[in-house]
Amino acid sequence: MWKRLLLIRGAELFAFGMLVAIPVFVNNSYALGLLTLLAIYGILLIGLDVSVGYLGQVNLGHAAFLGLGAYASGLCVTLLGFGMPAALGVSLLVGLVIGALLALPALRLEGPQFALATLSFSALTVTTLNEWESLTGGAQGLQLDRPALLGVHLGAAGFYWLCMILLALVWMLMRNLLSSHWGRAFEALRDSPIATDAMGVGTYRFKVAAFAIGSALGSFAGGLYAFNFQYLQPHSFVYELMVILLLGVVLGGRKSLWGAVVGAALIVLLPNLLSNRMLFQVFSALGLLLAVVAGVRGMMNKSTRPFQAIAPIVAMGSLVVGGMLVANTEDWRKAIFALMLFSVVVGLPEGLMGFITRFLSQLFSVAPPPLPAPAALDEVLAARPMQDKPLLELRNLKRYFGGVKAVDDVSMAVHSGHIHGLIGPNGSGKSTAVNVISGLYAPTGGQVLLHGKALPEGSLYQVARVGIARTFQNLQLFGELSALDNVMVALKGVYRCPLPLLLLGFARREEKRAQAQSLALLELVGLAQQARSKAKDLTYGAQRFLEIARALACKPDLLILDEPAAGLAQPDVAQLIAIIKRIHQRGITIILIEHHMDVVSELCDRVTVLDGGKVIAEGSAEEVKRHPLVIQAYLGVEHTE
Amino acid sequence: MSVIVQLVVSGALMGMVYALIAYGFQLTYSTSKSINFGQGELVMLSAFVSLSLINTGLPYWLVVPGGLLFGVLLGLFVERAAVRLALEQKGEGWILLTVIFGLLGFSAAENIWGRDDRPFPTPVPSDPMHFFGIGITPLEISVAIGVLAVMGMVELFKRKTLLGKAFEAVSADRDAAGLMGVSATRIIMLSYGLSGLVAAMAGILVAPITTVGPTMASALILKAFSVAVVAGLDSGFGVVVVGLFLGALESLASFYIGSGWREAPGLILLIMALALRPNGVFGKASIRKV
Amino acid sequence: MLVVENLHAGYDASEVLDGVSLRVKQGSVVALIGANGAGKTTAMRAISGMLKPTQGRVLLDGQPVQELGSARIAKLGLAHAPEGRKVFGPLSVEDNLLLGAYSRLPAFFGFRGKAAADLARIYELFPRLRERSQQAAGTLSGGEQQMLAIGRALMANPKVMLLDEPSMGLAPVIVQEVFRIIKRLKQAGITLLLVEQFARSALEVADYVYVMEHGKIAVEGVPDEIRKNQRVLEAYLG
Repeated sequence: MWKRLLLIRGAELFAFGMLVAIPVFVNNSYALGLLTLLAIYGILLIGLDVSVGYLGQVNLGHAAFLGLGAYASGLCVTLLGFGMPAALGVSLLVGLVIGALLALPALRLEGPQFALATLSFSALTVTTLNEWESLTGGAQGLQLDRPALLGVHLGAAGFYWLCMILLALVWMLMRNLLSSHWGRAFEALRDSPIATDAMGVGTYRFKVAAFAIGSALGSFAGGLYAFNFQYLQPHSFVYELMVILLLGVVLGGRKSLWGAVVGAALIVLLPNLLSNRMLFQVFSALGLLLAVVAGVRGMMNKSTRPFQAIAPIVAMGSLVVGGMLVANTEDWRKAIFALMLFSVVVGLPEGLMGFITRFLSQLFSVAPPPLPAPAALDEVLAARPMQDKPLLELRNLKRYFGGVKAVDDVSMAVHSGHIHGLIGPNGSGKSTAVNVISGLYAPTGGQVLLHGKALPEGSLYQVARVGIARTFQNLQLFGELSALDNVMVALKGVYRCPLPLLLLGFARREEKRAQAQSLALLELVGLAQQARSKAKDLTYGAQRFLEIARALACKPDLLILDEPAAGLAQPDVAQLIAIIKRIHQRGITIILIEHHMDVVSELCDRVTVLDGGKVIAEGSAEEVKRHPLVIQAYLGVEHTE
Repeated sequence: MSVIVQLVVSGALMGMVYALIAYGFQLTYSTSKSINFGQGELVMLSAFVSLSLINTGLPYWLVVPGGLLFGVLLGLFVERAAVRLALEQKGEGWILLTVIFGLLGFSAAENIWGRDDRPFPTPVPSDPMHFFGIGITPLEISVAIGVLAVMGMVELFKRKTLLGKAFEAVSADRDAAGLMGVSATRIIMLSYGLSGLVAAMAGILVAPITTVGPTMASALILKAFSVAVVAGLDSGFGVVVVGLFLGALESLASFYIGSGWREAPGLILLIMALALRPNGVFGKASIRKV
Repeated sequence: MLVVENLHAGYDASEVLDGVSLRVKQGSVVALIGANGAGKTTAMRAISGMLKPTQGRVLLDGQPVQELGSARIAKLGLAHAPEGRKVFGPLSVEDNLLLGAYSRLPAFFGFRGKAAADLARIYELFPRLRERSQQAAGTLSGGEQQMLAIGRALMANPKVMLLDEPSMGLAPVIVQEVFRIIKRLKQAGITLLLVEQFARSALEVADYVYVMEHGKIAVEGVPDEIRKNQRVLEAYLG
């Protein structure tokens, strides 16, 4: 425990102390300028990493937020005579508000559309800054003086220290945010938006929040940028800067505060690298060497494809050769950025910090902080009284896809406290029915009632909020998160700490409680020992059980298990049955879709059989098994011609 | 009144070029759900290469196929170097990688041909002809004809040849297409080649009007993005309609608000379209699958 | 004609096929039956190259194909009418059929002429498809889509045809029609590997039957033997 704190916090403190101490010993205004820029870009890239690293979206609008923040602060000072804190506050607010406004429409989009939206936004911003001459001075630029901070006029060193302190502050706040349920939700979104919705964690809300926070940091850095250079031009915030910022985040390493700052250091140093021919040749040669080593190693242990090994070598090789042929490397600046970024994206996708962290963690084996003892199951899943009345009712439910009637007029009732089996041959409409109930699809017709009230239609999130949780036939785990975190993402009723307090680190206690509750659920499915393993590294059976634990974390009234035994080996099936029985004892109603008849017979109080989208039989497991229509549905008709 | 009509007509003719580039996005999007973010540089580089071909003294009717061939090769290169790996890994790395190749192309053009804009000679005269009091230059007409001809030919190819049908089959269902012996990888390559051809054609058509320079396509491409997104990435008919509309709109905006604002309508339209109809005005809603 | 030896395959962490071996002789109809989730469809996907096997061999007409992708295998003469039919929804019925013959038709011009005779043959087998030849395939009913999927596979004039769950999600009347067609294919001498959940119907048309359970072949034999085997019934109804 102490070793961990000492190493991690120690490294942070040491780095911070070193950086802060430099101006005391070195009196070089050029170096000081670079260091100040490093602190500002550090904040900027931490913000960019929220969308690029945590949300996993290609964000091409961050340079525009830097520009917006810079102009906001600049104008506050020149036009309104604001002091530094107020101006920076305005910058932060501008980023937050415009970020949220942009995110509202843009984040409904995925991948390319999102990148396009942010790209258009940044072009629109630069156009506006350029054309609104009466306000911004247009292409002429905006001249400003650095205002006083609480009556004190900061010199170069003073301003540098301010930037460093702010970087340290941002670092701490973001660390608190990203290690809380917010950070987990961001990452969950990236791995499976569908599951995030289905767990009742509003995908959309968290995405907008994440993007707004990242953008706010961007424009906050913009305010500092304005006070640093004291001269602004719209031209500084164009596309090229955006590519450099992405280079910083990707090269430094995504999803890492260290990575963002290391990336900032690299992009601050790059221009110097390019202006010195000798230095450039040394660095490109080093890059080539790294690419060759990484490529050969990757090929040897077959972890990379040939393209992944060869392409970076070709790219770095052309940097080396080009460096010899070209008279002025500055002219080829963009091409050099491009080739470097290409090599990193293809050859070293985890970035420098990812690489170094892996190396360091082999060097010092640091034990993770200990987990609390699991909570009592009663605290997590309060036992519900059994009452024999309908919990869920389907009335004439229909769902068509083009000419195919996947669910065709299905009516059934699921009684409270029952395990209700839903069976039928392949393509009989079981999964579609469940997808309609859980809100993935809107019904073509008919009604679904929970507790006698109509369920929200076509929204996984809203259905999850009223107490229906589900698992997926094709697993939808958050692969990059640990087993424990998978459960904690979905956990209901624990996270109450308001955001400002959480940022300041006051959520530790509820975090412990969440861990304890989640561990209890992992214990219920027999995975307490693997709490720290990444979900994608678990065995297939364990992944299935983890999905069940995660669904239980929603503390549902109704749990829908969509083919939980699919692909399981025989011993795992036995364990699955035991798990389902344990859940049933808590009084949770279960709909079980299952192919394995033995599982159905053993567990289900009542069974509905679907065929061709229609209900063909309903009753106890034994009854339906003898039902002639069911036998026919499963074995086919013996027809005579 | 006649001023407005004049603005609308010449703007709309320019909009045809946006439509053509947007059509190039649709070609690759339909087969692979990816687009080349460096498509603007492809337009620009093809125009530069065509200009160099003209300067070697090649007749115009040989320059055009030469420029188109270059566009196809560049499209194929982008697919191989930037897109294929990311698609195999089922990620969105291609966005960043195509952005990177765009930057590389831009830098190459800056250093090989210089940063200045240069005129692009053309055999088509640019003296306006008058129809009902509206001046239209033969150059503008040649742009419209060129755009429609290329789009028409690609559509004919898609509908009337078996390879074209295979193209549509891959868009509809990659796995099933594989079972027919249609290699999705090849078809995606083909779509990037076609997209390169379309971009090159756009470059050659627009160059006499805009002149040729490294930045000639940076504004063009933003508008093409807007057109593609507003129309929806799967509607060939839609891009023409939206292209005409946007061209006319921005021509009006630049006259009445100021020429610096000519990009604004497209960008605002794009953000609005994303907010209101994320799949585009002419697009189809997609079904989430688990 | 088709020999499968010790085939292993799966998705990500789960191994679905645990050593499947089977043979299909030229001109015979072989049925692969078993309860849902036993791995029948995965076996089909691994044979046709939609899924790369992790172990084992697939020989088509004596040639090993387990390393090849689905497009290459299709060109070598294996047609697969997949589970869930997978017709090309936006394309017309006729275009779907033409694409079935993709690997043996010219890519640009004259493909219609070359395919005319085959098209006529398919339309004769499925008159409904002729009626709807210009309609988008996605608007057909489930049964019609299944006919189209079978017709599309036949267009390839394959050496072996895989037919995966042709009865899935269809009403009993339609299922009977599907099986009538399979019988006609059998009479025409098509080599067929049929995956079917309806054991009775499958037993009726097959020359030889494999029963799958938990990713393995549990029982094999001629239909009469299988009918008597108590274990088969248990595999279905527990």
